[in-house]
Formats: sequence, structure tokens, C-alpha cells
Amino acid sequence: MSDHPMTTSKSKRSILNQGCNRRDALKLFGITLASGLSTLVLSRIKKSRNDGSDGSLFRHTSSYASNQEISNQSHSNRYDRSPDKRPNIIFILGDNHNYRTMGCAGHPFIHTPGMDQIAQEGILFENTFSPTPLCSPSRASFLTGAYAHKHGVKNNHTPWTGQMTTFLEYLNLNGYATAFIGKWHMPGEGLPEMPFLDRFISYTYREGQGAYFNCPMIVDGKEVPSRKAYITEEITDYAIEFIQENSAHDNAERPPFCLYLAHRPGHPPFQAPDEISGMYDEVNVEEVLPDLVDPWWYGKANRNVFQGVMMGSYYNQYRKYCETLSAMDRDILRILNLVEQEGLRENTVIIYMGDNGMQWGTHDCHGIREPYEDSIRLPFIIRAPWLISDPGTKRAQMALNIDIAPTLLDMAGIPIPRDMDGESLVPILTNPNPQGRDSFLLEFWRYFPENTPSYTGIRTERYKYVKFERGREPWLFDIQEDLKEDTNLFDSEIGKQILPELKSALEAQYLLSL
Amino acid sequence: MKKREALKVLHEPLFIVAIIALLSYFVYYSSRQIPNSALHQVLAAGFGTIYFLSIFFGPLFIYTTKYVQGDPLGKRILASCAIPFIWVTKDVYVLMESHPFLECLYWYFNPLTIWMLCLLAIELGLGTLLGRILLKRRGQAIRVISLIPIVAILIGTATFAGIYAWGQGENLFSLYLHGYRLLFGSGI
Repeated sequence: MSDHPMTTSKSKRSILNQGCNRRDALKLFGITLASGLSTLVLSRIKKSRNDGSDGSLFRHTSSYASNQEISNQSHSNRYDRSPDKRPNIIFILGDNHNYRTMGCAGHPFIHTPGMDQIAQEGILFENTFSPTPLCSPSRASFLTGAYAHKHGVKNNHTPWTGQMTTFLEYLNLNGYATAFIGKWHMPGEGLPEMPFLDRFISYTYREGQGAYFNCPMIVDGKEVPSRKAYITEEITDYAIEFIQENSAHDNAERPPFCLYLAHRPGHPPFQAPDEISGMYDEVNVEEVLPDLVDPWWYGKANRNVFQGVMMGSYYNQYRKYCETLSAMDRDILRILNLVEQEGLRENTVIIYMGDNGMQWGTHDCHGIREPYEDSIRLPFIIRAPWLISDPGTKRAQMALNIDIAPTLLDMAGIPIPRDMDGESLVPILTNPNPQGRDSFLLEFWRYFPENTPSYTGIRTERYKYVKFERGREPWLFDIQEDLKEDTNLFDSEIGKQILPELKSALEAQYLLSL
Repeated sequence: MKKREALKVLHEPLFIVAIIALLSYFVYYSSRQIPNSALHQVLAAGFGTIYFLSIFFGPLFIYTTKYVQGDPLGKRILASCAIPFIWVTKDVYVLMESHPFLECLYWYFNPLTIWMLCLLAIELGLGTLLGRILLKRRGQAIRVISLIPIVAILIGTATFAGIYAWGQGENLFSLYLHGYRLLFGSGI
């Protein structure tokens, strides 16, 4: 990691601090060139490793990296990368958001007009995942474009070290105005130093989880009381200020901006503002939750701490969860309207994702960390008018949270650093047909007091293989045939046949990301 | 004689609560096997509630009964704490699927246990008062109100309410996790 020229923070800072004279410009050019070359070399290595997979279990035989190369060529032709036309970026992150719980994803009752609008005017990715389904590791993966074993935030107790450069820093180095607003939620003493951010507005309250109401904020290093009672309104107000400040310049002088806006919903305890609270009281949630769930289920959940504790009706918990998501959506709609009013629509990419999924009773589990589909899958919608020629459609290719950083850098015309494990999704945005990645790593480090052992595994388009550090038999599911993951094939004849190849693929994936 | 001794156990309040807890646990967990959804829901709701009550409010019954039976203080307290202790121990055992033994022991000090200790203090105080009322009704010359049970009730209530007021238990949980990190780091 540290051998990568773009991760030498000293050189980056000096460029940042001294302004852009000719020497610095040459230096930046050199760094950019080196980074571009290194990306090309790595993609060729990846390609050569992925080739020769005849008879593979995987449907795709061509590598994603090769698509990446193609995309970089075609992408350059699609829009001008000159500085004044680089896109603005608005990245919005939800919390514990089950991928099916959006109107545009077919949920029967949740009201999410904001998310639906993004999907209607953009693309909905149907197969998006977090390789480590836990808040802090996933958040670090969004920022760094890397797997957790590389960025080092392995569970919610492991401190953020800043050992990898975030995409926000790369964007800032390339002239972007940058803001991180909302939930940071990575361990460590307070918030980290991030001098490359023009605005850094977050909170450390309650382990960084914050509070739904009257959450004390840290605004650019200073502790201040909340200005709005409800947390999504509070941070959206700051986001709106940031967008307005950056829209106020004349067109010619206006630098592009990148806003990273991380919301608290739908993290427990689920609390919605008065005007939204109760909006799903009359809804029949039994149709959405698994049959075996009963009103007491919260306490019964297998592998859930507090078994047997009356924590309120499980049905009501789910209703409240949906309320918090609708509350967040209301503020997403405010951002969409502002972008429209400011005339930024055509040159602004808007992304909404979740940090990890959420199991609501499937497999007897309540939570986010088991390697079941409901936990590892993410909601992911993106609007980028200049790239997407078929708005309102869906993409079936597999996408990951680690793809966000390289995708945004690619959109901004910045070479993707080689220490990023993710791949740009631009080729898939511009064209529905390119083959996506054929597999990715699953990795999890036990997180006290949650009862899930550490595990590693691999998810291909068809199979999921997971081996646990202790306490459980390995899992092997045929996702295509058994989407609900009811039948563990590990000890079966079929399982024994396909396991060697999955084990090799797991090893190869891990080696690739070192 | 042996039969009479065996039947005596039926008068043991700890035994009664333990049986109720076990039965409700098994009916609750087995109810999902019932194909009739309505019946499943009724059984789950009913026996789930009984299970909860037996763990959290069983100590009140146990302590009051043992007080009336004239058991000494130590025995009364031990019997009252037995069911909640078994319940937490079960959770410690469950956690051992994922975490090392020493870390699992730390689960005994989780915020829920603190809340439960507050509840126990209240129940022990109330149990004393209830026991005295029952004995008085039976004709014993006994003073119902005294300082220690009242103090136990007040301390239990104040601590319980204080924890709730202090972020509905969330802040205490943050403190608990902080303690974990001091002892075990990130655990990996």
C-alpha cells in the first residue's frame, strides 16, 4: 500500500498546501501517470489470473478487469473530462437498509419517493453486496475501495488508522470541494484528522452511532448542539448549505464538489419524527416478514443476544424501522429538489446505498452480520444522466461497496489507485451488457457481543461458500437454485465436487487483494 | 415417606418457577412447528409472555413465598437469583460459539444484567413487604414497613429509572463496550 505513489501523504499534502505551481503540476502529472500505469498492470495481472477458467463454475469467463480497460476507452469518448465539466458527486449512505425495503425494489408498502425517483431516473443494481456485513468495516470499504483485511477496520472495535487514502482525498487533490457529513462511526479517539475535507460534520455520541433526536454534533472540529431535532433533517441542512455554497460560484470558476452524506436510519432504536411516526401502524407486516416470525420473535431470534427479552412487538419494530427509512427518504427528496433548483441535475451523480443489509427474521436471525443474502446485499441506486442512456432500468451484474471509490474516481477522470480492490462500474452504467465480476470475498471478524464467529468465504454468481473460525460447519449454498439458502450442500456429493474449485477461487481472490 | 419428601418439592417456589419457565420455553419454541398460523401466534404470544414473566418476575414470587415459609435471608436471595442467573448463563454459553471463554464471562456484566439487578432489588424489597403482609394476615405480630426493604426498592427504582433516563440504556451499553475494549482490545 505505502509503495503506491498516490498514498505518499507527504507529497499529496505538499501539493495541496503549496498551491499548483509548475513543479507541483508536473509532480501531480507524474503521480497520475504512475497510478494509471499501475492500474493497467494490475488489471492485466488480474486478467491473466482469471483467464483459463474453462469448465469453471462461474458463468463469466472473461475478466471484469478487461472490461475496465474497455470502459476507460469508451468512457473517455462519452463525456469531456475537462475540469469544468467534471461531475459533482452526492453519495448518500443509509444504515442497516435491507435491499428490498424500497418502493423501487418492489416493497409492498414502504413510502420512498426519493429513492424511487433516483431509480426511475437512473439505475437500480439488483446484486450489490458488502463483503464484510458490519457497519465500520463497510464504511471504511466505501471510503477506501478496499476489502477490510486491507484497510484494517475489521470490526466495530478496530480503530480507523487512515492507512489507506480515501477517495475523498483523491478528489480533493484533483480540485474537488469535499464534505463528509453525517455518521462516521469508525472506532478511534474522536474523529480523525481529515484536512482534505472542506467540511467535516459528524458525531461521536454513543460509540459514533449518534441519536435520532438532538444529537450533539462536531462541526469542523468544534462541538455544537444540534440545530434541528431530528438527525436526518439536521445533517441534510448542513448538506444543503454545502451544495448551495458550492453552487454560488459562477459557472466558469465553480469547482466540482463531492458530498458524502451518511444517515443514521435504519439503525435501532428505531425512532421517527412525529409527522412520520405511526404512518405504518395499520399496515399488515405479516405479509413481509417470514411466516415463523411471531410478535415475540425479537427475543427468540437464534444467535441473537437478549434471547427471551420482551423488547416490544417484532411487528412494531419492523414498522418503526420502515418509518425511519421513510424519514430519511424525505430528506433525500430535499437534496434531489435542491439539485434540480440549482440547475445541477445534468452534471451531478447521485448515489444511494446502504452500509450493510438487515435480516428481519430470515433464517431465524435478526441482525446484519450473518453471511446470508439479506445481510450482505445492499440497496444501490444511482443517477448519472450523462452516463446512463436507459434510465429506469436495472443491472444484474454483481457490484460491491468497494466499487464506489473507483467508480467515482473514474467518473471524475482520476486514475484508479492500484491498492483499491474495487472496480469502476462506469462500463456497466453506460451499457447494460458488460460482464461483471464473477466472484468476491466474504470476510468477517467476530464482534463482541454479537454471536457470529469469524468467517471467510467466497460468493460467486452461483455459489456461496463460507468457512467459520469456530462453532459451525461450513456453508455451501447454490444461490441460483436455492435463493433462500435452505439447503447446505457442504456434506453432499455435489458439494464435494464443487468445493475444491471454490476453495481455489477463495484463495485466488484473497491473493489478488493483497 | 419418600413419596411425601418428593411431593414437598412441589411446594418449593424455585422449582415451580423453573418448571413454568422450562415449559413456556419449550412450548414457545415448539409452537412454530404448528402448521396453523393462528394457533402458532396465540401459543407464541401466550407462552412467550409467560417465559418473560418467569425470568423477570419469578424472583418476586420465590422471595415472597420463601419469606412466608421462614427461610433465612441468604437462602431467600440465592433462590430468587437462580432463574435470572441460569438465564444469563445460558446466554454466556450461547456466546461461546463465537468468542473465547474469558470474553464470554464479561457478558455477565452486560447492561441487561444491571437492569435485572435493579429489578431484583425492587422485587426483594417488595417480596419482604408482601411476605410480612401475608404473615400479619395469618395473625403474626409483625411490622410491615421497615427501612431496609424500602431502601432496596428506592435504590433499585432510582438506578433503573436513572439508566433509562440516561439514554434509555444506550449510554450504559456504550460504557459496557468501552470496558470491553479496555480489557480485550478489538478482540481479534
